[in-house]
Amino acid sequence: MRPLTEEESKAVFTKLANYVGKNLVHLIDRQDEPYCFRLHKDRVFYVSESSMRLGISIARPNLVSLGTCFGKFSKSGKFKLHITALDYVAQYAKYKIWIKPNGEMPFLYGNHVVKAHLGRITEDTPEHQGVVVFSMNDIPLGFGVTARSTVDTRKLDPTAIIVFHQADVGEYLRDEDTLF
Amino acid sequence: MDVSNILASHAAKYQSVTVEKETPLEVDPGLLMVTDLNPIEAETYNENLEEHLQSLARDGVQSLMTSLFSLPTKPSPDGPLAILPPPVYQLPRAKPLPKPKPLTKWEQFAKAKGIQHKVRDKKVWDEEKQDWVNRWGRNGKNREVEEQWIHEVPHNADVDYDPRKVARDERKERIVKNKKQQEQNIARQTSTRERKQEIEKTLATTRMSTASMGKFDKILEGEKKIRGVKRKFNPNEEPVTNEMKASLDLLNKMESDKKKMRKDPRGEEGSLNVRKAVKFASKGKGGVALGRELSSGKGRGGGKGGRGGKR
Repeated sequence: MRPLTEEESKAVFTKLANYVGKNLVHLIDRQDEPYCFRLHKDRVFYVSESSMRLGISIARPNLVSLGTCFGKFSKSGKFKLHITALDYVAQYAKYKIWIKPNGEMPFLYGNHVVKAHLGRITEDTPEHQGVVVFSMNDIPLGFGVTARSTVDTRKLDPTAIIVFHQADVGEYLRDEDTLF
Repeated sequence: MDVSNILASHAAKYQSVTVEKETPLEVDPGLLMVTDLNPIEAETYNENLEEHLQSLARDGVQSLMTSLFSLPTKPSPDGPLAILPPPVYQLPRAKPLPKPKPLTKWEQFAKAKGIQHKVRDKKVWDEEKQDWVNRWGRNGKNREVEEQWIHEVPHNADVDYDPRKVARDERKERIVKNKKQQEQNIARQTSTRERKQEIEKTLATTRMSTASMGKFDKILEGEKKIRGVKRKFNPNEEPVTNEMKASLDLLNKMESDKKKMRKDPRGEEGSLNVRKAVKFASKGKGGVALGRELSSGKGRGGGKGGRGGKR
């Protein structure tokens, strides 16, 4: 376990900023308790200072996980956000999309969101913008990237993809052994 | 009409333009500098420091102004300008004196024998051509023998004796000898520490330069394991507030970078290619050589230019 280097922080922040924008400040500078990012076995954990200090005393091979896993660094140094970060990302998300109940299951099986399943979408969402996917009763289901801007979606046919799937809560079951 | 009381009141209002001190102030208008050599009056100093300093400053500036106005002037569009005399005060040197260059072998010898150094002209007089010709180089005099159209051949010469080749070889030998002497001078002048460092660096490079990156090489006795540059991370135990501050700074920087990117879309990509950077910093010798260099102290910041040979 160690703090992130500047380069790593930059990779993590750019990825997170794609979803939460300037709200990222609220993740770093929290009112309740100081939180920090820690890297352990290529995984980035978002952890409170107190639990981090407890974790220091555990030997590296014995430490499995601590705090919330936000994602992992690939071997080539790219950062991939995991579904476990959804709690925080959904809380501060800048752009959101709600899908109809009949679209929930297809999304949770790892499919893209098609226009037919679109319930609501934040206005003025640009193209290729990270968005958090909610069900109609405001339960976060995952996140992805918009294929078209809000304006362009109007003209599309119902089978066209509007959000590319990146992660969904179904991964908790599908990728149970590699996720954490 | 009596104006003496008006003048008196005027004089009381403005202090006189002359400055009178026990030791007169030393004014150097060339540097716009005034030196007050009078000892500090303890009484006024202790009483009111500000006032004392102000009066001192006033006297100094007043005497400087007086001397400036007495200087010759030249007219300019902005009004008359005083022509400053060259400065009198010798400012001390900011940097230490440069170290004398180490002597070459010939210079040492010449010094010991008391031989005066003479700079030889580049041109020499040629009687035949009745002109100045280069001592060496293009159409140089040193190639005169090998370029002449008729040669004298000694009595006992071989059949295949080539006087032109002999002269040329002699000249080439002289060049090689001079080059060797030059190199020896440079080697003598670089310190042993530097040379040792250089050797260690080269050794580290060569040890890594086998197909197995030195893994299956026979290790000699007393040879140490080679180590590269160690990565260094911030400690875990640091207060989180420091980290938070660094993160917020980084966020701000990213934000400003983004704004810059908008102006220039071809701006820097951000990620640093470490492998390439190490290769560049070590001049292609690899991270191990770089680590060796860093660990064995600071290098001699460049400046490897050798001295020319004997002139």
